[in-house]
Amino acid sequence: MTDVILEKVGKTYPNGYHAIPSVDLSIEEGEFIVLVGPSGCGKSTLLRMVAGLESISTGELRIRGERMNEKEPAERDIAMVFQNYALYPHMSVYDNMAYGLKNRGMAKKMIEEKVSDVAAMLGLTELLQRKPRQLSGGQRQRVAMGRAMVRDPKVFLFDEPLSNLDAKLRVQMRVEIRQLQRKLGTTTLYVTHDQVEAMTLADRLVVLNKGKAEQIGTPMDLYNKPATPFVAAFIGSPSMNLVDANLTEQGIHLSETLTLPLSHQHRGDIVWGIRPEHLEVSDERNADFALRIQAVESLGAETLIHGKIETEFGNGEPMVVRLSGPHLPEVNSLMWLTAPMSHWHLFDAKTQQRL
Amino acid sequence: MIENRPWLTFASHATLLTGIALVALPVWMALVASTHPASAFGVGHIPLWFGDAGAETWGTVLFEKAGNGVDTPVWFMMLNSLIMALGITFGKIAISLLSAYAIVFFRFPFRNLCFWIIFMTLMLPVEVRIVPTYEVVANLDLLNSYTGLTLPLIASATATFLFRQCFLSIPGELVEAARIDGAGPWRFFFDILLPLSRTNIAALFVILFIYGWNQYLWPLLITTDDAYYTLVMSIKRMLSVTDGDIAWNQIMATTLLAMLPPVAVVIGMQKLFVKGLVDSEK
Amino acid sequence: MTVTFPQKGLPWLLLLPQLLVTAIFFLWPAEQALEQAFYQEDAFGLSREFIGLENFADLFTDPLYYQSMLTTLVFSFSVAIVGMSLALLLAVMADRIIRGKLAYQTLLIWPYAVAPALAGVLWWILFDPSMGPIALWLKSAGINWNHYLDGNQAMILVVIASTWKQISYNFLFFLAGLQAVPRSLIEAAAIDGASPFKRFWTIVFPLLSPTTFFLLVVNLVYAFFETFGVIDATTKGGPGQSTTTLVYKVFDDGFVGLDLGGSAAQSVVLMAIVGLMTVIQFRFIERKVQYS
Ligand SMILES: Nc1ncnc2c1ncn2[C@@H]1O[C@H](COP(=O)(O)OP(=O)(O)O)[C@@H](O)[C@H]1O
Ligand SMILES: [Mg+2]
Repeated sequence: MTDVILEKVGKTYPNGYHAIPSVDLSIEEGEFIVLVGPSGCGKSTLLRMVAGLESISTGELRIRGERMNEKEPAERDIAMVFQNYALYPHMSVYDNMAYGLKNRGMAKKMIEEKVSDVAAMLGLTELLQRKPRQLSGGQRQRVAMGRAMVRDPKVFLFDEPLSNLDAKLRVQMRVEIRQLQRKLGTTTLYVTHDQVEAMTLADRLVVLNKGKAEQIGTPMDLYNKPATPFVAAFIGSPSMNLVDANLTEQGIHLSETLTLPLSHQHRGDIVWGIRPEHLEVSDERNADFALRIQAVESLGAETLIHGKIETEFGNGEPMVVRLSGPHLPEVNSLMWLTAPMSHWHLFDAKTQQRL
Repeated sequence: MIENRPWLTFASHATLLTGIALVALPVWMALVASTHPASAFGVGHIPLWFGDAGAETWGTVLFEKAGNGVDTPVWFMMLNSLIMALGITFGKIAISLLSAYAIVFFRFPFRNLCFWIIFMTLMLPVEVRIVPTYEVVANLDLLNSYTGLTLPLIASATATFLFRQCFLSIPGELVEAARIDGAGPWRFFFDILLPLSRTNIAALFVILFIYGWNQYLWPLLITTDDAYYTLVMSIKRMLSVTDGDIAWNQIMATTLLAMLPPVAVVIGMQKLFVKGLVDSEK
Repeated sequence: MTVTFPQKGLPWLLLLPQLLVTAIFFLWPAEQALEQAFYQEDAFGLSREFIGLENFADLFTDPLYYQSMLTTLVFSFSVAIVGMSLALLLAVMADRIIRGKLAYQTLLIWPYAVAPALAGVLWWILFDPSMGPIALWLKSAGINWNHYLDGNQAMILVVIASTWKQISYNFLFFLAGLQAVPRSLIEAAAIDGASPFKRFWTIVFPLLSPTTFFLLVVNLVYAFFETFGVIDATTKGGPGQSTTTLVYKVFDDGFVGLDLGGSAAQSVVLMAIVGLMTVIQFRFIERKVQYS
């Protein structure tokens, strides 16, 4: 069953800034959707329109079939976790979690029950009487989640909930959020700028760029078949190598002297891409091109090699290669590489669409 | 300090103690004077050490009458001062909280204009516009009333401005969280905003109480009925007796009693007082 | 940008009390003052006559008004400079010492709570020519003190009483300013061989300049508007006009001299000055708010 539907939803701020032209998205019940994109692309704006904290300028939002545009946040049956947690500083953990229920006029007995259930689930039972300032960052994060969970809402909304935590805690909480969401089965809309977080959490991802949904799909869809160079570059780490090229009947001209043979009906300027992990080390005879090595990053389990494609006129496009295991090539030496055709990504340079 | 120079430290203490003594000098004098009978004051003579009429003088002014033409006892005028001070304090805090709340948390036409109008009153003490204000209050038939004593003085913007600053520092996400939790504007005001502004309110309370208690010209003008005399203004009435008949001991005792409550507040709540001063000048 | 509530009528309701009080006790009187400033009224308020700008013309041709302006400036700057210098001295001393700082602070700040009128009375007694201990002591030192007759001495008396009350305020802000001076700077200067005295003038005092400037403004405003009680309780503006400040003159001409038109014209001039200062302060504060 479709739970949340955004139909041509757009936002223009009162100052005239056109933050989101139009977004279409339908979310299934229980689905975990991640909105991902660089800072300032309109993720929070979109989420806050769903929450009712920003008005919807154009289009319609429906939750369980009901139009929500004019409803107050409290009437939408959503719960939200904020980046800085937004815990009420003068209330105890218990009161923070109970406040929404009290305002809905729930019986005291029932509130107690719900809060202690959720507190137990999140390991907060011992902390219920503390004030937020007496908690660590991770604990505050948990309380913020608890406050959302006790409400048992139709939709969870998260706005970069992990970005104030240190790296280790972030990974831990990420796993925990995913487990809790699976267990509760609550439809979730989650905003992040971190593509790793996005890939690991999402059932489906929405990649936003300047207020437009560039692509909506599962993490593997986005990895394997990015719809635009933007998505291709944004998903995956290190980023996909993208080279401006020209497609003719001979193939793809990466530079004046370097052509990768290909028969394709498209003609004209394109963007050619290959992920660092798909480049293979080869020898001079079989290689597609050579890389002049500029830097080597050894991470133990893998090695990242940065260089530039070697052409007759000196250095060409920059390129990163990712090899598993330790490698120690000399800086400034040449490395011969093949780029298997099955891993190529071709985009029309003009329309920015995948070919 | 960086280097150990005992004479410098000694000089510091000495300077401070001298300062304290100088600052305390007039109060010391007043205290001494209040312990002598009125007859002890004459040309070329004022007592420099405590006498033995202290209890009598203090008892008289406190419970019988302040003297020098003021027939009300000090305790009664203290009550009036207290009513006026608290009226001004609570009035200012209440209307300022509300108006700052409106200005910070709502968007409505002429919002800036309202803020400006309120702000214009910030630096305009009643003394500057004393004649017309007096006439307005007289027209409204508020002379000799507690309303007349307090209401005209609660129109100041310092408190509004202070609360505005305080509210602006509250993170927007907290408001959003409250809205999602189903709190409307009133609930938010009472459940979140007031508790978060607690120390600001308390600090402002101290400053405003002193301000209210120390009002002088206003009560002097609008009260002609003994029943509304406040303590600070009564001094002026006591001093208007012809020179020779002034009972200095009573005036000094009354003066000391008039400064006691606000001084006690400053010393007793020093931390809040300092915070209030610093905040209200930001 | 703060988050707001969507209600449209409620903010007006919230503003209503403040706006009402402002309108009745500020805007209405201000309007009245403006109106009166253009009329001549007889002392009993029975008849009045429109005279246009004559009240203002009178005011600005009246040497007494200019004298009052001068008096106000002399008085205000004396209060500001004397008060700030003494407070700075005390604050520097208090900042130097390690133990007992709070006790000294407590013993120095209480005069803030004393009503200006009472401060006036207290100092008046000390300086009373016939029995005040300080006046008698001055006499024995060869100075004939009588502030009832000597305008300069009257000015000195009101400056002392007004300053006394304000020292606590200056002290607190200077002490806070001193404590905000980074220790490392002073230590660096000490390592460079600067004596404590030199360190103060070359490092600490320049760093205090925002505080000093702020206090100067506050003190001038204080001396301008909040010292009515001091003057009224001690000299009543006299002898002659020697301690009649602008604010005192508004009262004196209006309630004592019963020149309502002239007093109203003065109110209008003062309000214009205050309005100007408010605009300046508003700009200043808004800028500070934006950057902080
Ligand atoms: N209240 C506002 N008024 C005008 N512009 C805004 C407002 N809030 C956000 N914006 C602009 O809208 C764009 C999207 O903001 P946002 O949704 O917060 O981005 P992000 O993807 O980082 O969460 C940004 O360029 C931001 O400057
Ligand atoms: Mg954001």
